[in-house]
Amino acid sequence: MPRADVVVVGAGLAGLTAAARLAEAGATVTLVAKGHASTHWAAGGIDVAAPAEARTPAEGVALLAARSAHPYSILGADVEPAVAWLTGVLVGEALAYAGTVHTPIRRVPTAIGGTRRVAIVPEAQSAALRPWEPDEVLVVAGPARFKDFWPSAIADSLSRDDVWHGADRPARVVGVSVDLDGHDRRHNVNALELANRLDDAAVRAADLDRIATAVRRAAGGRPGRVALPAILGLRAHAEAWRDAQVRLPLDPFEVPLVPPSVPGMRLWQALRARIRSGGGRIQIGEQVHRVEVAGGRVAAVEMEAATRVHRITTDALVLATGGIAGGGLIATVGGLLVEPLLGLPVEAPPPDEWLRRDGLHPSGHPIESAGIVTDADLHPVAADGTRLANVFVAGALLAGQLALRERSGDGVAIASGWRAATAFLDGRARAPRRRAARVARAVG
Amino acid sequence: MTIADLVAEASAELDHHVSSSADECLKCNVCNTVCPVMRVTDLFPGPKYEGPQAQRFRLARGQQIQGPHSDHVASPDHSVDYCSGCGWCTTACPSGVKIAEMNNQARARLREGKRPKLRDWGLGQTDLTGRLGVAFSPLANAVFGNRLARTAMEVTVGVHRKAPLPGFAKRTFQSTWRRQGGATGADGTPVPGPDEAVVYFHGCAANYYEPHVAEAAIEVLRRNGFATIVPPQVCCGLPLISNGLYDNARQRAASNASILAGYARQGYRIIGTSTSCTHTLKAEYEEMLDLHDDDTRVVSEATWDICEFLLDLHEQGRLDTTFGPLDEDLPYHAPCQLRSHGIGLPALDLFALIPGLRARDMDHDCCGIAGTYGLKKEKYDIGMAVGEPLFERVIASGAPAAACDSETCRWQIQAATGVPTRHPVEFLLDAYRAGDATTR
Repeated sequence: MPRADVVVVGAGLAGLTAAARLAEAGATVTLVAKGHASTHWAAGGIDVAAPAEARTPAEGVALLAARSAHPYSILGADVEPAVAWLTGVLVGEALAYAGTVHTPIRRVPTAIGGTRRVAIVPEAQSAALRPWEPDEVLVVAGPARFKDFWPSAIADSLSRDDVWHGADRPARVVGVSVDLDGHDRRHNVNALELANRLDDAAVRAADLDRIATAVRRAAGGRPGRVALPAILGLRAHAEAWRDAQVRLPLDPFEVPLVPPSVPGMRLWQALRARIRSGGGRIQIGEQVHRVEVAGGRVAAVEMEAATRVHRITTDALVLATGGIAGGGLIATVGGLLVEPLLGLPVEAPPPDEWLRRDGLHPSGHPIESAGIVTDADLHPVAADGTRLANVFVAGALLAGQLALRERSGDGVAIASGWRAATAFLDGRARAPRRRAARVARAVG
Repeated sequence: MTIADLVAEASAELDHHVSSSADECLKCNVCNTVCPVMRVTDLFPGPKYEGPQAQRFRLARGQQIQGPHSDHVASPDHSVDYCSGCGWCTTACPSGVKIAEMNNQARARLREGKRPKLRDWGLGQTDLTGRLGVAFSPLANAVFGNRLARTAMEVTVGVHRKAPLPGFAKRTFQSTWRRQGGATGADGTPVPGPDEAVVYFHGCAANYYEPHVAEAAIEVLRRNGFATIVPPQVCCGLPLISNGLYDNARQRAASNASILAGYARQGYRIIGTSTSCTHTLKAEYEEMLDLHDDDTRVVSEATWDICEFLLDLHEQGRLDTTFGPLDEDLPYHAPCQLRSHGIGLPALDLFALIPGLRARDMDHDCCGIAGTYGLKKEKYDIGMAVGEPLFERVIASGAPAAACDSETCRWQIQAATGVPTRHPVEFLLDAYRAGDATTR
């Protein structure tokens, strides 16, 4: 049967980070997942930590790390090297990112005309982070009849002071819709179709020129920037981004959209490419239904295949299956939360305290913090009390996060995926020496 | 209560039936991101629209629908016919929605009670066309190779003039096998037991078009200590399923299951060289045709794709690995049907055992043919556009030949690139023979 040094379960940012780091270091790694994960929905930026009081992601990490139950209390020191490593990998795959954990958190526009607080974003989103000069205009431009991005509505909303939470805002916001050639009869166009369209160099040049004309007219000679929907190419994004900078009269930046998320798919593609070029395997659509544990160690994982079981033996397991939304935790009708692969004990509030009455309560819901508690090396403890020394828990499955409120999900995923891989590699590097020492003793 | 019990309790409310799996849809759009057809044409609005979104209207069937659009209840949008059935949407869905299967059933319902198009009926009956074609193979091959005749075929029947139709063999594999005395046990020699023999499901491709694939498979099996039993069999039924002709497919399924089940119960494994036939035996009789009898189940459990089987032998240390060197680059395309097996890419693992062979996964989703989809007049261009990046990579590899497990994909790749495209077992046999030459 197939074997791997490490099996990673889960194709979200945690699993991808762990697999990329392992493959890069020469470990044989197989990533399996029941389907695609948050990369196809998320905005493509790296949200490390942005609690209200934090001015930089690093400050946010420090604030969260001070809470004993938060994953950052054990991962705090890993965040900076992990994020730096990951953005380096992405640059190597022609997907540049801007910002570090020390970059100031600032407000950038969203596709519904609000703002959100970010610091580390793809380069194509980064012009939004620059402080606004007093005379700058923001032109919101997009294809006409594209239902996921309404320039005039976005511009109307962004013209309100309260959206920006302060004085740092464009002097004026204008929306323009642009008719793209041959697009007038299309309904139900999504971001991915537009990105595919802009992968074609000739179509892209014509589309950008039309947008440029409209933007120039709207800006009326004033300095400023242009917000575009995040559709600037998928496979040819680097070229599309370069073309946009050259052809548009104002500094462009992309605004992420509702799913399917093109910036998220670019992130997935880049990490997938890195895993594969390191010899790693990625098997999407294969749901693990059993993990074999022997003597306190995981020995194999089994996937349900057509009629029979597909089994991979392994030296280690990275459990990056996600939280409740990702299926890493399942709620039973009887009010229990179950971790379905290893039956790990789940840290969670009692069922009658899972949810607040107000669905949109600003503090979120207590159930969001549910997850698996690990030791400092990310090893969980099984229900029978044994520490599973070759299992690493990573990402949203870790207990103690309120990722949506703290805007910390990406940072936890990257830091824990990176730490899991690093710990495995360190352990392997030590192991031969231990063996050698034993041999030396035996010979001596 | 064990964890297994708790998980069972938690998932008890989830209905894994194809039609109602739409309830699990979160509208996350992941299926749309992987759809090869949606990538190249506006004619198909994507798996999300066709599948889980349209499904809620389909579920209203059986109720009295009032108004002018009541005839649309079977499927609110006839564009579902542009689904190629490649299955990538189902693979990528994180919520377990059986999107491709849902679309296939919707297409079948669109056609219920209507006479099928002659073309779809003909493309579905691969065993009938195969039998006729082999019987009149010089004539049939001349017609299929004639541009004028193909143009006439496009106009009258709707099979695209450039569609990759394979040449018929001079003789079916079955008849050659019988003539060579292959009907194991018929001459009174004892039939080897299930540890020494396997049952071979050749499917239509190896029987009517590519008997050399069957011969290569049988030789590779023989070298690993397995005799081959070839029982009478009919088409697996997949071409009928994908053309929405479920009733005809059920007849084929029942016929195959009744013959093969006897062997399966004795412990014989059923080996196929077509990933799409083996997947049909494994999964689609139950899932698509709703057959849940014991014969279908035992056949499903006994069925193996040949590369899956050989890799399993290797993992038990039982595969003869005296492969000689094959010094060549080998572009490999993993067919969509193989992914539905959920067994990884066994052909690539086997290629890695052959010294000198530099096999490389072309890393492309779909060649565009999707069984009979890309043969059709109105879908040929879509299929070619879907496969375009694959064709470019195969040509750019400069390799003398390419490999793929599925026959219709092989024909498509070969027609589009001019690069001969062969089944993985053919390369294994080449390598065995190269090994013979070096030891001699």
